[in-house]
Amino acid sequence: MTAINRRLRGARGSRQGMWMLPLLIALAITLWLSLKTAQFLNGENLLNLVPQAMPLVITAVGQMFVVLLGGLDLSVGSIISFTTAVLALGGPSWVLIPAVFVLAALVGFSNGFIITRFNVHPIIATLSMQYILLGITRVLRPVSGGTVPDAVISAVAGSFLGIPMPVFWGVFTLLVAWKLLYGSRFGLHLFAIGGGVSSGVEDAAHNFGIADRRNIVLAYVICACFAALAGIFLAGRIVSGDPNVGLLFELDAITAVAIGGTQLSGGIGSLHGTVIGALVMALLANGMNLTNVSPFIQTTIKGTILLLVVALQSRKKMGL
Amino acid sequence: MAAALAHPVMRRLLRIPPAYYVFAVLLLVLWVARPNMLNLNIMGIFVRQIVPLGILVLGQLLVMRVRSIDLSGGGVILLINYTISSGVFPGASMAFFIVLALGIGLAVGLFNGLMVGVRRVSAVIVTLAVGIVLVGIVQYLSSGKPPGDVPGMFADIYNTKLGPAPTPVIFWVAVSAALSLFLSRTVFGRYVTSVGENVQAAHFSGVPVARTVVLAHTLAGLFAGIAALVQTASIAVGSVRVGLDLPILAVAATILGGVVFGRGEGGVWGPFFGVLSFALLFVVMTTFGVDEPGKLIAQGLIILLAAIFYGIRQRSS
Repeated sequence: MTAINRRLRGARGSRQGMWMLPLLIALAITLWLSLKTAQFLNGENLLNLVPQAMPLVITAVGQMFVVLLGGLDLSVGSIISFTTAVLALGGPSWVLIPAVFVLAALVGFSNGFIITRFNVHPIIATLSMQYILLGITRVLRPVSGGTVPDAVISAVAGSFLGIPMPVFWGVFTLLVAWKLLYGSRFGLHLFAIGGGVSSGVEDAAHNFGIADRRNIVLAYVICACFAALAGIFLAGRIVSGDPNVGLLFELDAITAVAIGGTQLSGGIGSLHGTVIGALVMALLANGMNLTNVSPFIQTTIKGTILLLVVALQSRKKMGL
Repeated sequence: MAAALAHPVMRRLLRIPPAYYVFAVLLLVLWVARPNMLNLNIMGIFVRQIVPLGILVLGQLLVMRVRSIDLSGGGVILLINYTISSGVFPGASMAFFIVLALGIGLAVGLFNGLMVGVRRVSAVIVTLAVGIVLVGIVQYLSSGKPPGDVPGMFADIYNTKLGPAPTPVIFWVAVSAALSLFLSRTVFGRYVTSVGENVQAAHFSGVPVARTVVLAHTLAGLFAGIAALVQTASIAVGSVRVGLDLPILAVAATILGGVVFGRGEGGVWGPFFGVLSFALLFVVMTTFGVDEPGKLIAQGLIILLAAIFYGIRQRSS
């Protein structure tokens, strides 16, 4: 039993986190759904699953970078809404799309700068950023409307070589994240900084000569840019700007990251775990819609799952 | 800039929680722009509206002083509002509702406390998830439609006045004073301070860290229950949206009042003035015709500037 337990939690001292349990949960949900409803294995539903899951996968992967540092970004929901509002301002797509990324990077940079230079707690810094950005979004676009450039719409809805476009978005996200996390010095430093934070030695990485402030700022910029990417994807799906589309999205992203075995105190986690976590959330939503579960009780079920998953992970740090 | 910050006078001024400065500035703005609004009757009405937030803040400052956070208050307020207004307990007495509300608050607070203090789960995640679960339950039970009316007794008490001041305001001041005394005079108050200063040092000095955190969260749940009763009495009808933004505002007011994760220089009265500042802020913004987006931006900026104020001070000392 203990052997199985250890296997599920990953080997002792692993920095991948507990990702096998969520994988089992995902498989169990898939199995249950395919037995329970005929529609689930239907080709159309499976094709829908990818675009449904994609915004969450992209946002969660971005969120993972700051969570690995022991941080948290609560402003990603607002960045998504803001991105759709900017895209619907009207104008050529070769101006709007770079502009969206520049603005998102600026938001991420402000988050990181405030956190590292002014010693502000990540929750407070990103929470106030969430408010400010939500206000600006509502000024730009009080209610949903406007039209998104055609290039964005066809980049989401079309298909290339017979494969639907959302698949390419997913592959692109994973390749970029994989390179950043496992194929660069930045990724290694991320684990080093987060590992120090989670053991209560905030400046452990700093003392070993790692430029922690620069890497922390970079992680927040990356998180914001992934959120902008998810925003562009969503704008392409809903074809207009919507100030409320990203509402509470940060909660779903954090839930997905937590389900995927990434420890919220930092230092432990994995890319594949995060993707599995996001897929679990998407499968659940899809399954509950197919089985006609009330949308109100769906939030309760999501919250309960989050509670169960975080309660299973033990950590040293107490409090936040 | 560092030299100017290190000056003794500057350091003395920086020690005062920003809530007092914000309160003074807003009062001055109102005095210059709308002097006729500064009378006891009008102010009493504005302050009375903010009392639920004020009571929720008392719990928030308690958990923030032990380096935790409670974001489940919105769910607790919604659930209690629903149980009182939906008529699931027809003909129940006022005392029954009060006991029920306090019981719900205590139970949710105890659960949060056990998860955070004993199970050592991230407080943000636990309290957020508990809030989501409670909101989901209420929305499911009510199918998204507002439930019925609140028994008239609640509004009757809410609308009374003791002398010139409304009863809810007097109640808020009394509860704040009680908490202030509780924190300064009891052993538990000292435990809270030592856990906030340094968890490990507190543990090695024999402070029951886990018990202190659990108790702080349980008390925060109790305050959320009281806040729910006042909020329910103030709107006098059932609602499926009431109080959802209160936990975030409570965090903001607490930070403004000089209590930031683990540091409690602001005591109870700093956050008290933080809440009053928010009351005045809404009055000032409404009189100047600032709309909803502007209010959101102003709220965000105030939280941010207050937090930066602490960050700079910490580095200069």
